[in-house]
Amino acid sequence: MAELTIDGRKVEVAAGTNLIEAARKLAIDIPYYCYHPALAPVGSCRMCQVEILDPGKPPRVAIACRTEATQGLNVSTTGKDCVAARAATLEFLLANHPLDCPICDKAGECDLQDFTYRHGHGAGRFSEPKREKLKHELIGDHILLDQERCILCTRCVRFMDEYAKSPSLVVAGRGDRNVIAIFPGEPIHSNYEGNLADICPVGALTLKEFRFKSRVWDLSSEESVCTGCDRGCSVLLETKRNRLLRVRPRVNLQVNGHFMCDQGRFGLLDAANPVAREELGWVKGARVTAAEAATALATTLAAERGRWLVLLSARLTGEELLLATAVLGPLAKQLAWVPTAASGGDDILFTGRRAPNEKALERLSVPALDEAAAAKVLAEPATAGLLCFDAALAARLLAQAKGKRLALVDVVRDFDPAAGKAPHGAELFVPGTLASEKDGTFLNVDAVLQRARRAQRWPQGTVAEAALLLQVAATASLSVAALTQKPDLTFALLEALGQPGMLLNQLPDDGVKLTPTAAAVSA
Amino acid sequence: MENYLSTEFRRATPLFLEEARAKGRYRTAQRVFETLTPEQVVDEVKNSGLRGRGGAWFPTGIKWSFMPKEPLKGPSYLVINADEGEPGTFKDRQIMEKDPHLLLEGILIGSFAIRAETAFLYIRGEYKLAHDTLAQAIAELEAAGILGDAAFGTKRKMRIVLHRGAGAYICGEETALLNSLEGRRGEPRPKPPFPAVWGAFGRPTSVNNVETLANVPAILEKGAAWYKSAGTAQAPGHLLFGVSGAVERPGCFELPLGTTARELVERWAGGVKGGRRMKAFIPGGASTGFLPPDRLDVPMDPESLRKEGTMLGTGGIIVIPEGVEIVDAARVFSRFFRHETCGQCSPCREGSAWSDQVVGRFQRGEGRTEDFVLLDAIMRGSKQRTICVFPEAFAGPLGSAVKHFKDDLMAVSARRAAADAGSGAAAHGTASHG
Ligand SMILES: Cc1cc2nc3c(=O)[nH]c(=O)nc-3n(C[C@H](O)[C@H](O)[C@H](O)COP(=O)(O)O)c2cc1C
Ligand code: SF4
Ligand code: SF4
Repeated sequence: MAELTIDGRKVEVAAGTNLIEAARKLAIDIPYYCYHPALAPVGSCRMCQVEILDPGKPPRVAIACRTEATQGLNVSTTGKDCVAARAATLEFLLANHPLDCPICDKAGECDLQDFTYRHGHGAGRFSEPKREKLKHELIGDHILLDQERCILCTRCVRFMDEYAKSPSLVVAGRGDRNVIAIFPGEPIHSNYEGNLADICPVGALTLKEFRFKSRVWDLSSEESVCTGCDRGCSVLLETKRNRLLRVRPRVNLQVNGHFMCDQGRFGLLDAANPVAREELGWVKGARVTAAEAATALATTLAAERGRWLVLLSARLTGEELLLATAVLGPLAKQLAWVPTAASGGDDILFTGRRAPNEKALERLSVPALDEAAAAKVLAEPATAGLLCFDAALAARLLAQAKGKRLALVDVVRDFDPAAGKAPHGAELFVPGTLASEKDGTFLNVDAVLQRARRAQRWPQGTVAEAALLLQVAATASLSVAALTQKPDLTFALLEALGQPGMLLNQLPDDGVKLTPTAAAVSA
Repeated sequence: MENYLSTEFRRATPLFLEEARAKGRYRTAQRVFETLTPEQVVDEVKNSGLRGRGGAWFPTGIKWSFMPKEPLKGPSYLVINADEGEPGTFKDRQIMEKDPHLLLEGILIGSFAIRAETAFLYIRGEYKLAHDTLAQAIAELEAAGILGDAAFGTKRKMRIVLHRGAGAYICGEETALLNSLEGRRGEPRPKPPFPAVWGAFGRPTSVNNVETLANVPAILEKGAAWYKSAGTAQAPGHLLFGVSGAVERPGCFELPLGTTARELVERWAGGVKGGRRMKAFIPGGASTGFLPPDRLDVPMDPESLRKEGTMLGTGGIIVIPEGVEIVDAARVFSRFFRHETCGQCSPCREGSAWSDQVVGRFQRGEGRTEDFVLLDAIMRGSKQRTICVFPEAFAGPLGSAVKHFKDDLMAVSARRAAADAGSGAAAHGTASHG
């Protein structure tokens, strides 16, 4: 450990911590561009200059990102030399900047704008012709490059090299002809491309998918969890008028660090804005309200107790799964879930298991059935039908057990009501809700339980899964008081998982890491 | 003191091994390998006061003493800086083209001193003749068993790897050179770590200039006391001074440090060409900037020139005669530096380009008095604020032009503006974009 002084305040950090991070502990903001906590520091932008005060010597200007905290170090972020140095750096960076903030997606969250307000001069003195470079060029599947806005911090280059392990960007040229570029004819091809728009401190790298969609200050933002795979990256879901317009990673050092993958980012975007979503219910070939469909489902399950195969889905929240085990367990012939095979995972973040809450199903001891076994149970004469929370799985199973009845609860997109047929020919269809439409928890692959907050409203009239389950319980005269009498369902869930209870509202922003279960410990 | 660097410079063809050995070459290196310890070599060089000839004038013995001592967990390297990119500088080239074995003997002794078994000789790409000459001389040493698994028949291995640069001034900066040598982009590395800790391929490395190493055999042969008998107390020995520009006999002259620029220009280079008057001179390569002729009697050594607000640099004098405008000379340099900065540091990349644009305006007759404040801000915002000292280099000609020739700059600008107004011409001279 090293105790040092920054702007007259003492702070203790691990020896070797750089001064940007040491200052952060004191909530002192040292501005920077090329530095990024997840990348090796290069010290080239010269924005993080501070002063080192050695007794008996004049203050020495140094870059904070590459100066290590040592015992007794005395640092000033407000000395006149470093203030002047930072202002000079900004004037240099702005000299050839196009200043096209009014049409730039980054405006409002741009470090060039923000630092200029905080550390820059009011007016620039540059009166020469500005450099012209390449503008809005698509350099991958998602990213547009504007070389004129670029401040050449090289975060993007280093991100692709060091983090994405897919070297795709270079600095080409020399001096003021330097540009960020792809290798000719070789666009970025990586599952981590989207992060470039987040790490670019200016508007040089922007997302095709977000381009001109909204000013960032018009977005509402909710802290949530990505449901693209069971990594469960911490994310921000950003909406405008109930449409999800942007997904960004949120820093969570025990889950995803600073980043997320494109499968998640663009998958969520797609999933959350379903095209031609079926918002009404279906009962025996008739299109009805969701409430009517919910009632029909509840009545059927209560009347045909012990005859339905019920398959839960890992896309449901932990609270929904807990409720489902309590309600559907006693009513089903068999309650189970079908594990998802991993495909396309990598050793960075993406696990390839597109089932965000499988760990909760496991820990709640819901029995797992593989698809063939599930099809066999369904085909048994004693099985009346399948209640399934996953439309794709239902379709596959029914193809193997033809003629069986289907009750489906899921979000269905690309639906054409004019065809006069319920989704997947279900006898009962209750429209489900999206993860982004409800508040609940997901348990990730490393047993971190995180909260996904509601970022969108569900369609009017929807009977969300939890309400549906409670209605089923009431219809079948099952008591769920053991759960509903708890402070909240998250509290009950944590207890069911063998953890101390905690309210949903008490969950820390980066989630709670669960202790291993007794079973896992003895295994 | 007799000359020890330039004895072969008047030859038509290079001095190759057979003849070199006949002249006693490699006897010193052999004695070093057979009878001395690395510490003894480092001490002798330290005592001699030899300072690096690449421009920074850092004491060579001290640099070598930073290198790790045995036992080593991996190799140390000697890297020879033969990139010689500083405008007005052509001394290393003379050594390599005429007397390759002088350098190679220095490399052998230097490698011995820092316990390196591999030396990388990084030579600027344009030096084709020097490269080919060295390649031949190295092959001779390999054939003679001086390089190889048993250098001079001792247990030491020794090899020299020649590597050609691709034509970038910045690759002369020692850490950019190391990156380039490794196949990376030629950009200076932030320091620390210094090359003695993290150099070529992540190994401890000493980077030394060609001329520096060429001094070493004589020091080991004749001793530190002999070496200190020439030059100044703080900068002993001889220097290969270059004199170019408007002089009668441009060339490379071996003289003691502390010789005046006047003696070099008037006596050795034959004075300003055609008997014209001198407008200004550059003492030690482009980055040392302009001095007015009244400074001709300043001794050419690092300390004396520092007192004049400039540097000795590489000792390459450039003479600018009356009739050449300072603004035009300054523009040549501002374009050079704008072109050659690696561009990773914001202040250097933008400052070198911006100041070039401003100088360009002066050149076109569009100078403004407030531009001097601006130029000063550009230099202050970039000097000592970047990864390497490149801003100090571009501020050399720029700052000295403003310091010594401010009125001249304004007057020339005004004159050209008036001429443009008179002729209705839009552009002037060599003005380029922006
Ligand atoms: C921009 C720049 C260019 C340089 N170019 C050269 C060069 O061409 N040759 C050289 O020997 N040193 C050059 N140097 C100096 C080297 O960084 C280094 O100081 C030198 O090679 C060390 O050798 P010495 O101690 O023998 O002088 C340059 C330095 C800078 C900042
Ligand atoms: S594109 Fe963005 S991240 Fe990349 S160097 Fe330019 S400013 Fe930095
Ligand atoms: S100061 Fe200039 S030349 Fe040196 S590393 Fe920075 S940008 Fe490159």
